[in-house]
Amino acid sequence: MSKHLLKFSVNGKDYAVVVESHERLLDVLRDKLGLKGTKEGCSTGDCGICGVLMDGRLVNSCLIFAIQARNKKIVTIEGIGSAEKLHPIQRAFMKWNAAQCGYCIPAMILASKDLLEKNPNPTTEDIKNATRGIICRCTGYVKIFEAVKTAASEMRGSE
Amino acid sequence: MFVPENLGDLLQYLDSHQAGVHLIANGTDLINRIQRRQVSPKVLVDLTGLTEFRYVKWEGGMIKIGGLTTISELVASPFMDSRYDVFREVAMKFGGPSIINMATVGGNICSASSSEDLLPVLLVLDAEVQVRNIHGVRTLRVEDFVKGKRMTDLKPNEILVETSFREIDSHSACSFEKVGMRNSLIIAFVNCAVFLKLAENKMCDEIRIAFNRVNGKIPQRARQTEKIMKGKKLNEQSLSDAVATLRNELKLTSDFRASEEYRLEVACAIFKRAVSRCVDRLAGEEILV
Repeated sequence: MSKHLLKFSVNGKDYAVVVESHERLLDVLRDKLGLKGTKEGCSTGDCGICGVLMDGRLVNSCLIFAIQARNKKIVTIEGIGSAEKLHPIQRAFMKWNAAQCGYCIPAMILASKDLLEKNPNPTTEDIKNATRGIICRCTGYVKIFEAVKTAASEMRGSE
Repeated sequence: MFVPENLGDLLQYLDSHQAGVHLIANGTDLINRIQRRQVSPKVLVDLTGLTEFRYVKWEGGMIKIGGLTTISELVASPFMDSRYDVFREVAMKFGGPSIINMATVGGNICSASSSEDLLPVLLVLDAEVQVRNIHGVRTLRVEDFVKGKRMTDLKPNEILVETSFREIDSHSACSFEKVGMRNSLIIAFVNCAVFLKLAENKMCDEIRIAFNRVNGKIPQRARQTEKIMKGKKLNEQSLSDAVATLRNELKLTSDFRASEEYRLEVACAIFKRAVSRCVDRLAGEEILV
């Protein structure tokens, strides 16, 4: 089992962490950096719950060995807003009660952020497409899609 | 894990350490297989530092795709105009954004399982792969490179650096169909790719057809069906003759995902759909006027 020095940026902060070869990005984020907002679902890439942004693109943190994130910029749910200053997507999810158990919501919000940065005025089809890798077993998705539309219009208005 | 940052270090390492070494690109397939103990590598060699192999380019009538190009990068490339919508069809059914942002073209070829979605498309495009070791480069057809389920011609000291195929001209079209349980992450029951080149009067000048289970476990061409169709005018009759041949040619198996009988019906249906999509793509071209 070899050890590596992993240097990367998480939520705008630079980190240098000693990681083992077999450790996944998900484990390092949750257990070494204490960022528990990223959830573990199936651990096989099927459910999309562990999604984070790596260099601006949605990826499954369960399917990445931590050392493969070297020199990358990671954004987790903790990096997009704070309790005092929520991101417009987070506000819209609250407004629409888009979360029930909440387990998939960090990934849903990050997938929405990835989408809205590329496409500020998405159709429902675009939103479905952007979140199609993430399984939500409570909401039936409708309120999630509405929340993303609301966030999109708010973000367009604030530009 | 060995983490080389340049090709020289990597090839040197592979040349001197071969037993139990396993290459890893972005790991969307391999990490699962390690967790299920289907493979137990002693050492993983991380390829992701070799960013020079992330490209899509056009050179001398050929489209060339670097081995570490992700599926997302491939479909976003400016070279992938509407002639190459077949890759968008693959991407939509390949996996959700978090998978296609990671899964690489080279990884999909080297994984060589029965369900790899790119393989049928590369087979009908008659693509080649370029593999490299410390001593040099060799080029071989994808069809010869993939030898069986999870088996390729890649030697322990080699890596796949590029895949390439002739650009699709204005008389030709290519399409992909797949049926499985869920669009965002499915192992296909059946998938199918068709490359069609039409001559005048809807005459089938050239057709290449691939399914993921033509004869056993890996994607292969359906050559008997191709032979039946070549030179014929494309119409209801010739298409139903082709389907009859296809029924005999496909050797589908039953497993927990789907029965053999169901697979065969689906295969015939998506084959017809893929051919008619190719014809639609060519509509508007002079040959059909």
